[in-house]
Amino acid sequence: MTENIPVLIILLPLCSALLCLALTAAGKNLGIIFVKISCLASFMLSCIQLQMVVTGGTIHYAIGNYAAPFGIELVIDSLNAVLLVCFSLIGFLTLIFADNFGDRKRPMLVGGACAETALLITGLLGMTSTGDVFNLYVFLEITSLSAYCLISLGGSRGVVSAFRYMLVGTIAATFYLLGIGVLYAVTGTLNMGDMKEILSQGGHDDAMLTAMCFLIPAFGIKMALFPFHGWQPSAYTHAEPGSRPLITGVMGKVPAIAMFRFIYCIYGTDFRFVRIALIILGVFSVAGMLYGSLMAMGQTDLRKVLAYSSVAQMGYISLGFAIGTPIALAGAFLHMIGHAFMKGGLFFCTGAIRYKYGTTDINDFGRIYKQMPLTCGLLTVAALSMIGIPPTAGFFSKWYLALGAAGQQDWIYIAVLVISSLLNAVYFFRLIEKVFIRQSSELKMRWKSEALELPVSVILPIVVCFVAILGIGLFNVRIVDILLMTLEGVGL
Amino acid sequence: MRKTITVILLIVAVIMPFLAFDILPVIGDPQSAPNTHVSDYYIEHAIEECNSPNMVTAVIVDYRAFDTMFETTVMFLAGLSVVIILANRPKKRIPAHSSLKRVRHSGGRPVFETVNKDVMISVIEPLILIYAIYVLFHGEVSLGGGFQAGALIGMTYLLDVMVVKRDKPIFNLSKTKAAAIAGFGPLIYALTGIVTILGGGLYLEYNKIPLSVHQAELHSIGITAVEIGVTIGVAGTIITILSALMERTSFDDDND
Repeated sequence: MTENIPVLIILLPLCSALLCLALTAAGKNLGIIFVKISCLASFMLSCIQLQMVVTGGTIHYAIGNYAAPFGIELVIDSLNAVLLVCFSLIGFLTLIFADNFGDRKRPMLVGGACAETALLITGLLGMTSTGDVFNLYVFLEITSLSAYCLISLGGSRGVVSAFRYMLVGTIAATFYLLGIGVLYAVTGTLNMGDMKEILSQGGHDDAMLTAMCFLIPAFGIKMALFPFHGWQPSAYTHAEPGSRPLITGVMGKVPAIAMFRFIYCIYGTDFRFVRIALIILGVFSVAGMLYGSLMAMGQTDLRKVLAYSSVAQMGYISLGFAIGTPIALAGAFLHMIGHAFMKGGLFFCTGAIRYKYGTTDINDFGRIYKQMPLTCGLLTVAALSMIGIPPTAGFFSKWYLALGAAGQQDWIYIAVLVISSLLNAVYFFRLIEKVFIRQSSELKMRWKSEALELPVSVILPIVVCFVAILGIGLFNVRIVDILLMTLEGVGL
Repeated sequence: MRKTITVILLIVAVIMPFLAFDILPVIGDPQSAPNTHVSDYYIEHAIEECNSPNMVTAVIVDYRAFDTMFETTVMFLAGLSVVIILANRPKKRIPAHSSLKRVRHSGGRPVFETVNKDVMISVIEPLILIYAIYVLFHGEVSLGGGFQAGALIGMTYLLDVMVVKRDKPIFNLSKTKAAAIAGFGPLIYALTGIVTILGGGLYLEYNKIPLSVHQAELHSIGITAVEIGVTIGVAGTIITILSALMERTSFDDDND
C-alpha cells in the first residue's frame, strides 16, 4: 500500500470533490465534512511521503505500471515532497476557514464552492508531483478552471476580474501547449526525464529556444511575474473570501515550480541560450520587485496592498531561478514555502478582520489589537517576515538569495533585494502603525463572543500559520538540506 | 502610443513563430521524432498489452488513462462552475418567457401533441439511445467511446426538453442534481483505479482487477468501466449546463 502514496495524495481531494454535491444533497454538512477529512488525510500522507523521500530518495510512480516514456509517471523528489506537505496543509486550513463565509441557507452552493476548492487543491498537488509535460497541462486546466470559478464567486467585481483572468489565462494555456508541441515535435516524448535525455544529445537548440519563448510567458502569466501580472491584483482582491488564502498563497507558486522544471530539469544548464534566458528572467524579476513594492505603497485596501506585494514576492522567487546556483535556488524554494504561509496567513487575517468588522480598509484598523490579539500577532509576524527580519522565514530566504547572488558576483541583484526589502518595510510598518498605535476607530462588530476573539475555525489557521512562519525560520537549515538533496545536481 | 506599441508587438509575435517553422518536421515524415520514439512502441504493443484492436483507445484509456480521468473531471468542473456562477446571489427569477406560458389552448388536449413530439419521443430518441450504447460498448474496438456516447445521451435529454411542454417534463433533473450525477462519472473512473490498487497493483493497472478471468479480458473490463464513467460524466455535464441556463437567475449586486 505504501507505494501508492503519491497517487493517493492527489486522489483523495479529487474523489471527495466529486462526491461532495451528492453528499450535500443527502445531508447538509456531510459533503463538506468528507472533503475536509480527505484533505487532512492527504496532508498526513504527504508527511509520510516526505519521510520516505528523505530516507529512501526520489520516488518514481508509474501509473498503470507502464514504464516511463510510454505511460504517465509521478516523480517525487525531495523538492516536491516538501512543497506537497506545505500546499496540502494550506489547502486543508483554507477548507476549515471557508466554513465561515458561505451562505448557510443555500447548502448546495456552499457544497459546490467546497468542491471547487477541493478540485483546486487536486490541481495544485497534481501539478507539483507530475513528471509528464502533458499531464501537467491537464492539471493546469483543472487549477485554472476552478480558480476562475472561485474568483467569480466574489460578487460582480469578482466576475469581471475572473473574466479578465480567464482571457489571459487561456492565452497562457495555449502558449504552454504550443511550447510543449514544439518540444514534442523534436523529441517525440512527453516524459520530462526522457525529454531531458533526448535534448541533451544536442542539435535541437533552435527548437528549444522557440519553445522557451512560449513557455516563459505562459508560466509568467500564471505565476503573475512582473510584465504579465495584469490580471493578478484585481483577481486576488475580489476572489471569494473563503478560498482566498489558497488562491493567493499557493496558486502562483505552482507554475513557478513548473518553470523551474523546464529551465533546470528539462533544458539543463548546457542549453546554449541558458544565460540569455536567465538574464531576461532576472530583468523581469528585478523590475517586478521594485514595481510591486512601489504600487503596494499607494493602496489603502489591505487586500490590494497584499496583492501588489505578491507581484514583488514572485519576483524574489524568479530572481532565485535567474541567479541559478544551488544555494540561490534553495533560497527561491524556501521563499516559496515561507511566502505561501506569509501571504496565506495575511489573507487569513484579512478574512478574520472582515469577518469581525466587515472592513478591509487600512485606515479603519485603529488599535484593533485589543480586540483581536491573535490575528494581529500573525499580522505582525507575517509583516516582519515579508520585510525580512530574523528569525522569521523571510529573512533566511532572502539571505540565501543574497548568498547565491554574491557567489555569482551579481551585485545589482543584491542591491535590488535590499531596496525592495526597504520598500516592503515602508508599507508594512504603516500597517503595523495603524493596528497598534493609531487612535481607535468606532467599528461595529459583526461577531461577538465573550470567550474567544473569533470562531475556532478562524483561529486554527491563524495559529498554524504563525507557528509555521517562525518554524520555517528556525529550522531553515534542515529544510534547505532537504531541498539541496535535489538542487545540488541541477544548478549552475 | 500605447496602441501602436501593442500592434507592433503583436505583428512581431505573429511573424516570429512562422520564422521558426522550419524546426518542425514535415507532416507525415516517417523518420521524424514523434513517429519513431514512443509511437512505435504503441503500434507494436497496443494489441497484446491492452487487448484493444483500436490503438487510439489503447493510448487514451490505458497508456495515458490518468490524463483522460482528469479531462473527464474538467468536464464535471465546467458544469459545476456554470451552476454555481449562475446560482450565485440571485435576486429573483426573471420571467422572460412568461408571455409564452400564458398561452392556453382550448379543447383540453395537450399543447404539443404533434407529429414532431410523437416522432421524437417514440422513434428518434430510442434510436439515438441505442446508438449511444453501441458507441459506448464498441468504443474499445472501433472509433468512438465514452465522450461521444455521453454527448448522445445528453442530446436525448435536450430533445425531450425541446419537444415536451415545460411544466410537464418527462424527466426533471434540476441543475444541482444533474451536477451531482455528473460527479459520479469521474468517480467511477477513479474508483476503477482504486480497485486495481486493492487488487495489489499500481493505480489503473487493469490486469490487477480482482476478478478471476483471463488477463486480456481484465483490460477490456477496465476499459469498459472507465468508458462508462466518462459517459456518465459527459451526459451529466451536458444536462447540468442545459438546466443551469434554463433556470438562470440574475446577479447584479456586489457586497464585497
